Amino acid sequence: MLGLAPDAASAKAGGKVAEPAKWGDAGCDGEAVWGECQGSGKSAYRACAELAEPAFRCSCPSRKFPCKHVLGLLLLWSDGAVGAGARPEWVREWLEQRRQRAEKAQEKKAVTAAKVKDPKTAEARERQVAAGVADLDQWLRDQVAHGLAQAEKAPYRLWDDAARRLVDAKAGALAGQVRSLAAVPRQPGWPGRLLEEYALLRLLVTAYGRDDLPGPLRETVRARIGFTQGQDEVLAEGQRVRDRWCVIGSRDTAQDQLTTRRVWLRARSGRPALVLSFGAPGRPLDASLVVGTELDAELAFYPGAQPLRALVAERYGQAVPGVPDGTSVQGFLDEHAAAVAADPWLDRLPAVLEQVRLARDEQGLWAVDGDEQSLPLRLADPWRLLAVSGGQPVTLAGEWTRQGLRALAAWHADEGAVIL
Amino acid sequence: MNAWNEHVSAALLGTERRPAPRLPEAPAEDGDAAGRLLDQAAVLAVRRRAGLRPPRCAAGPIAPAPPEELPVVPAPAAARLARILAGEQIRVLPEWLDAAAAHGYRVPARLLPDLLEKGRSDRMLRPSIARSAGRRGVWLALQNTDWAYLVGAGDDPGGGEEVWQTGTRNQRVAYLSALRGSDPAKAREALKETWSKEPAPDRTAFLATFAQGLSPDDEEFLEAALEDRGKDVRQLASDLLARLPGSAYGRRMAIRARACLRAESRPVVTSTARNRRQTWILVEPPHAHDEDLARDGVPFHPSGSFAPGARAGGPVGTRAAWLREILARTPLSTWTDLFGLPPMEIVCLPVADAADTDGRSTRDVHIGWARAALGQRDVPWARALLKGGVMVDEPEALADLLAVLPADERDTAAAGLIRWVEGQPELLRVLERVPGPWRGELADAVVAVLTAAADRPTHRHEHTLLQLGRLADQSLAPEAAPRLEALAHRLDPASAAAPVLADLIETLRFRSDMIKELSL
Repeated sequence: MLGLAPDAASAKAGGKVAEPAKWGDAGCDGEAVWGECQGSGKSAYRACAELAEPAFRCSCPSRKFPCKHVLGLLLLWSDGAVGAGARPEWVREWLEQRRQRAEKAQEKKAVTAAKVKDPKTAEARERQVAAGVADLDQWLRDQVAHGLAQAEKAPYRLWDDAARRLVDAKAGALAGQVRSLAAVPRQPGWPGRLLEEYALLRLLVTAYGRDDLPGPLRETVRARIGFTQGQDEVLAEGQRVRDRWCVIGSRDTAQDQLTTRRVWLRARSGRPALVLSFGAPGRPLDASLVVGTELDAELAFYPGAQPLRALVAERYGQAVPGVPDGTSVQGFLDEHAAAVAADPWLDRLPAVLEQVRLARDEQGLWAVDGDEQSLPLRLADPWRLLAVSGGQPVTLAGEWTRQGLRALAAWHADEGAVIL
Repeated sequence: MNAWNEHVSAALLGTERRPAPRLPEAPAEDGDAAGRLLDQAAVLAVRRRAGLRPPRCAAGPIAPAPPEELPVVPAPAAARLARILAGEQIRVLPEWLDAAAAHGYRVPARLLPDLLEKGRSDRMLRPSIARSAGRRGVWLALQNTDWAYLVGAGDDPGGGEEVWQTGTRNQRVAYLSALRGSDPAKAREALKETWSKEPAPDRTAFLATFAQGLSPDDEEFLEAALEDRGKDVRQLASDLLARLPGSAYGRRMAIRARACLRAESRPVVTSTARNRRQTWILVEPPHAHDEDLARDGVPFHPSGSFAPGARAGGPVGTRAAWLREILARTPLSTWTDLFGLPPMEIVCLPVADAADTDGRSTRDVHIGWARAALGQRDVPWARALLKGGVMVDEPEALADLLAVLPADERDTAAAGLIRWVEGQPELLRVLERVPGPWRGELADAVVAVLTAAADRPTHRHEHTLLQLGRLADQSLAPEAAPRLEALAHRLDPASAAAPVLADLIETLRFRSDMIKELSL
């Protein structure tokens, strides 16, 4: 429950508020929980939470969200200290308002979707991007013609300038990839890495120029160049998959005044999915998917040759605790090979390894499966994973990147789901 | 050189200087060399990534932790521990750990790293961690040198007799102290064998285990240790001998003590009682310090002989300090034999200085006895000193004596002491020395002090309340919370006492919930 807290201080304060004595008229039903908390002010604060999403509301002036009252209320509720009861008027009103707002948003979406995009604007953008991509192609060839050796001493400006021209050309995703390359020549083994990155960029540039690609691959290429798709479009047209989805890991990264939360899912059928959410630093991110739970839901996938990114379109019932099904190391490598074959630019894929034990050498921690196959792990702090495993086999979930498997969560018979 | 490496070296030099290698599957038409190099590299790179074979780990899997004997704490207790470790009410951590261990639980594995990290910077926490971390805790500590303190820190050093030969100092101390509990003679023999080869700090640590199972059989060994090269070893040996009943050391001290204290019968000078006589204790502190006294653990400058006395005015002085040390090391049976009276009556006897009568010697005698009662764990003497109404200006020394009393007398005696010092600055120093949880009469006395302080809005009472609140929140039994709530309810919410009481009540409630969760 405390995973919902926006920061540690709120979690702490929430714990303090979770005293049955502080609450009056608390109650719950299948959809919501509510109560009135005596705060420092004259009138009691009215806090309530809708359990399905979850969504919160409190009449206190705190700018934290959810505030300590809501957290305290939910803690009480999860301890079973809130009895069932009939909704008071203010809770009914709020839920009604939410429903109306959701309906309005639906209508609005329908209106926007109905608005046909101006073909002239789109055409102009295509021209701009095409010019930028051609420019990048020339830049890439220049780098290789003059030799990569100069990159070792080159200032960051070399990549920044190229990236800025791509931003001007409205190829944002491509610009981000180029900018991130500036760090490569500072790493060991950089010549191979840099050539690999340049080669894959050239592949992307070439692919963009071709109009005989299959539809999904064409979408993958366009997404990696910087053509974005609106959520409404994805919800309306994206491929829908209903399954039981296990939430296997979540990771927040902050860059350029934007925090990105990557939540990885894995279906009982073995299909992976990625739900992204964004927020300004310090603002709460979407907390509706909780690691270690399983939910029956329909996901709408963004189009692509190896569709990963998705939106939760429809939920069926509440999330329950669930252990994901995993694979062996070889099983994961096969999945990875198939995914790279479909999308050669793929840089991340979720992995769930079953029955792996941990090994340690000078380089760090490894996950070793029953067939003695191993994968290197990347963990800032290996101790929690070590402590939970106790040298015994665990189910381990993480995000596979070229540097190794970043472990995100582990499941153990005694300990349950543990976020790493 | 494989195809990929050829491409990398060509790219490093630049296609202007070195022609790009050609892959057999590349199309024949020849564009620019740089473009072709990149295209071919893309084919190879995707091939390499799809056919990835991760490197093999050189080491085998980590050996599994030994199976646990104790169950993990119930889920609500685990959730609370996570909150405590995150910083909420962090001061209750030792109590949580001890309560969990007392109820036969262990800490959940996922919280062990945070817990062991806390023990790294806080030595006082380590015994509690050792009791509650389970076998997984030791297993984890073996993987991280930062947490090595836990290895061998518990009651069970692990391993058999070879630990004594090969273990770390901590492990060897744990082994020896376990052996002192079951077979003191065997432990003594084991130590004797290696004694001359151990460095002085180790000798001190090992000798300290003799506090367990101390018996006259140890006397010979301890007497020999009085000649040790290590100063700490000598001091420890003399302290242990002073606790040993019927020893030669005790007889030596008794001779010195009886030279300082003697009984004298004096007539009672009142108008009503004629011919009645009263026993006085006449005190004459030692005039000189000698080698033998130093050998028996009384240094020329005993600790505290220069410390300014709190209210007695100035330092104690070396002669008085020698007297205190000698009395502290003399068997208390010396005095019951000398005066032929029970301890309760002895402590009430009037004391006079043989040379002059400034009354200072009364303090010295009583403090000496109090230290002796503490060292020799003598219940009748401790009871007498606490109840006798003597030593009124040494409440801290009395508070130390509470530990000697049987558990069922402690609360009442402590409550008496609290009422005695209420309103004085010593109150807090006395309470600091009374271990929690404070229950029964003691809790009543503390609540009464809190009530009195809360009702008086002077600056001094506010200060007392604040300090007392900080002590009471960890030591007062949580059952006192409802009474404090009633007090807080009655109080003006704007008064300075209100937030202090609110914090205190909150902590008590937190501890109460914590104990309930662990008693499931």
